[in-house]
Amino acid sequence: MSSETLTRLADPPGTGQVRAARRGPSGHRGFPYLLVLPAVALLVLFVIAPGIYALILSFQTRHVSGGLLGTTSETVFAGVDNYRNALGDGTLWSSLLHMLLMAAITIPFTIGFALLFALCLDALRARLTRFARLSIFLPYAVPGVIATLLWGFLYLPATSPIGGNHINFFGQVAVFFSVGNVVLWGAVGFNMVVMFTALRALPRDIYDAAKIDGCTEWQIAVHVKIPLLRPAILMCSLFTVLAALQLYNEPNTLRPLANAISTTWVPLMKIYTDAFVNSDINLAAATSVLYAVAVLIISVIASRLVARRASGWSR
Amino acid sequence: MTTIALAPQRKRTGWLPTGILVLGAVYCLFPVLWILIASTKSRGELFATSTYVPDLGLGIVRNIGDLSSYSGGIFWQWMLNSVIYALIGGVLASAVSACCGYALAKYRFRGAGALFNVILAGVLLPPIVLAIPQYLLLSKVGLADSYAAVILPQLFNPYGIYLARIYANASVPDELLEAGRLDGAGEGTLFLSVGLRLMGPGLVTIFLLQFIAIWNNFLLPFVMLSSDSKFPLTVGLYSLLQHGADEASLYSLVIVGTLLAVLPVIVLFLSLQKYWKVDLVSGAVK
Amino acid sequence: MSALLVAGCSGTSGGSGGSGGSASGPVHLTLWDWDPNMNKVVALWNKSHPDIQVNMSNPAGGDQLVSKLITDHAAHNDPDLTKVEYQSLPALVSGGVVADITQYTTDTVKDYDATTLSQVKFQGKVYGVPQDFAPLMLYYRTDIFSSYGLAVPTTWAQYASEAATLHQKAPGVYMTNFDAADPGWFSGLAQQAGANWWTSSGNTWKVAINDAPSKQVADYWQQLVQAGSVATGPSFSPQWNKQMNTGALATWISGAWAPAQIGGIAPATKGKWAVAPLPQWSAGQNSTGIWGGAATTVTTDSQHPQQAAEFASWLNTNADALTSQVNNINIYPAATSGRSLPVLATAPPFFPNQANFYDLVKQSAPHARTFQIWGPDVTVTFASYTDSFDAALQSGSSFDNALTSMQNATVADMKKTGFTVSS
Repeated sequence: MSSETLTRLADPPGTGQVRAARRGPSGHRGFPYLLVLPAVALLVLFVIAPGIYALILSFQTRHVSGGLLGTTSETVFAGVDNYRNALGDGTLWSSLLHMLLMAAITIPFTIGFALLFALCLDALRARLTRFARLSIFLPYAVPGVIATLLWGFLYLPATSPIGGNHINFFGQVAVFFSVGNVVLWGAVGFNMVVMFTALRALPRDIYDAAKIDGCTEWQIAVHVKIPLLRPAILMCSLFTVLAALQLYNEPNTLRPLANAISTTWVPLMKIYTDAFVNSDINLAAATSVLYAVAVLIISVIASRLVARRASGWSR
Repeated sequence: MTTIALAPQRKRTGWLPTGILVLGAVYCLFPVLWILIASTKSRGELFATSTYVPDLGLGIVRNIGDLSSYSGGIFWQWMLNSVIYALIGGVLASAVSACCGYALAKYRFRGAGALFNVILAGVLLPPIVLAIPQYLLLSKVGLADSYAAVILPQLFNPYGIYLARIYANASVPDELLEAGRLDGAGEGTLFLSVGLRLMGPGLVTIFLLQFIAIWNNFLLPFVMLSSDSKFPLTVGLYSLLQHGADEASLYSLVIVGTLLAVLPVIVLFLSLQKYWKVDLVSGAVK
Repeated sequence: MSALLVAGCSGTSGGSGGSGGSASGPVHLTLWDWDPNMNKVVALWNKSHPDIQVNMSNPAGGDQLVSKLITDHAAHNDPDLTKVEYQSLPALVSGGVVADITQYTTDTVKDYDATTLSQVKFQGKVYGVPQDFAPLMLYYRTDIFSSYGLAVPTTWAQYASEAATLHQKAPGVYMTNFDAADPGWFSGLAQQAGANWWTSSGNTWKVAINDAPSKQVADYWQQLVQAGSVATGPSFSPQWNKQMNTGALATWISGAWAPAQIGGIAPATKGKWAVAPLPQWSAGQNSTGIWGGAATTVTTDSQHPQQAAEFASWLNTNADALTSQVNNINIYPAATSGRSLPVLATAPPFFPNQANFYDLVKQSAPHARTFQIWGPDVTVTFASYTDSFDAALQSGSSFDNALTSMQNATVADMKKTGFTVSS
């Protein structure tokens, strides 16, 4: 890269600069391509190529032959068999349902609490804000697997300091909230910081005007700040939706601790189980493709909504 | 009816917001506090004594000693591995993101829009989907079970590129670049001496985000690695947990290991606080 | 210890990375093994065999390692040697992961009885060297039994009535826990009752997970669960650890490898445990099942199968190696010669109160039975066990139905992969 730069420096001055409009000098048209080259190369190597390979796998299957233990195995073309099996598998639909239930719990609570904490941090007379901001952000530093183990200890009756003896955190309904709590714990801090940063960037003169009009701080928060925060709230909602769709670490780590979670509790666990436990990489690939397409559609819709809401807002 | 709050604002404490914040802080700190207490207890005490009472003796020293001698000191190897992956991966990934984000922000070129959309779509693919194919492809070139196998796939981070684009838009004025061009500076010089410098604080934020993402990553190293001497902390501690089911209980080791695993990132936070400017939306709306 | 560190630093990735040969220096072999302290035993070999050096690594255990072996085999990255539990061996043979070492083990196999060998020998070919043997035994707390006036049960009926008595006298104490997380535990109990989840004739499989003996076992435990006299949490969880420590569990049905486990789980209960033969279905019988146990195998990716087989044989039949294993890992040897080693004359360290510990194990071992053969997709069956019994425990539904779920899942998977299954 540096030799290219040197070559450009050697170009006679004025080349192509006359027509330099707002963006993009035409004489050095190669440079942006150079800059994006590493990212594109990585994209192709580690996202597109594996993605295509997964697609190919989804149309194949493994067939054994050769005696009782089938010591010869060959990969054969399977058409849409894997897709048919995936869609016909009851456990996949249950896992989808579980994931949607989890999303319905985690998304509103995460955004709600993040917003609440951000507003409190921004409140004029709030104390201990730096301590609170750091503390609430701290869980972001804890890996999901570790955080889940921690909360597992807190839920289990034998080691729970928060009443695990009386509350069954792993009951059929309770388990959803227990898992949701772990997700919330890890996510609220990051979203809070995003919203708080956006709050800080808002011009203060609007508040002064509102105060002169007689609004209390509470009213300012609800009627002025929140509407102005709409883009940040929507952005965070997008993040939490994506995270909810990819839920994996929390239920997977809680699973060995109690009887409440199956090996196929959410779609990503189902994919993992198919690939690594049942050694059926082809079915896992098909399920992954279906899931990725579904996630893509949902995300495109969600981000269009965000973009429209965010840009449609006029101040 | 309404009060006119024109009085100086720093005199009274707002109990409601402070109270809510304190509750939030307690909620977030509580499990971390629990590890601290639990890591002072020995294996026997862990399940036999009250949860709130720490062992104020040399319990924690003993646990750290046990952890250090487990399997020939492999825990500290795991710690070192995490640092290597996160530091090298973080720096390189930030570089990739900075270059790409800057290009997308400051240049208009063929395919820029499509590229950006494809990059964003990369966020949508669950890592599990890609893990095995990535593993198979890497092992075809003989890179499986290596440090490179863990670092390379993590160099491409759509969030990082997205952020870099926003920072480049927000902090590098086109006018400055044009002035530079009129002065005869080449694009490379402009990028390195003007663009990157102005994006500086934003780059630190990107680096921190990448660092934490790699530090916390579990699934990728889990699939790629088979030598336990190359495990990062996440996979190492998880394997200790799993071994709890095949051999003698290792819970106290896991707990003190967790404490030690969380400390470096906390220190990183506290020392680099001012760089946590996650100014996403202001940039996006501009 | 330092040998492991030095060996670990070279970090070759697998069999394809193994190097050396007869002319150009020592052969380097890689071994995957999750036994604690196995590195000490390996060190013994390395010291006395400078021409064949073994480098041990511990990436995962049990079923997780099976997954890793299969995945890495696709890239031919498997190590030369690996520890494989008996239940997973047919699946790995089927997957082409484990190699046939019949030609290298003609002498070794003489040190094993027929039952033990049947776990590694399929259709006349030997696929591994058995390491340990794990008959199910009853481990009980002598202090709890004496304070509540319980006798050591010799039949399951007696076990159930004592469980009821115990729970009535002390509602916070349970006879044991029904373990929905460890399929090996349940399959061992089914084996004792006479079950054969898989049988084969020629190239055809027959699957009978919900056969009569298995249902008998399932119904028995369902009654205990419904009566509330057994706990229902998974073993090895923090909850279970605490219960073992505080004496909330009076017995543990476990394999011969339990002493080291209990020592790690509840060190303060040293000397309070004793072992007895497993309760029987009819008075006077003497049978048991197995839970776990593993063999050392050579993988198809290995470039030095002969040397690898040599190491595997040494590890599991050599007197010094087995003595070291008993001392460091607390296994009960599978090799016949190993079961008479002097080291087994003393009780394991955690059971100082029971000098005849290994005698009792030795008495039970010959009467241990296992399935005629383990199926080629055991991981599917085992995952189904956990899911089905978890659901049954959560919702209170029938254990028999759980067995039927397992049956259906297993048969469907075998047929899909192309095995011939008779209905």
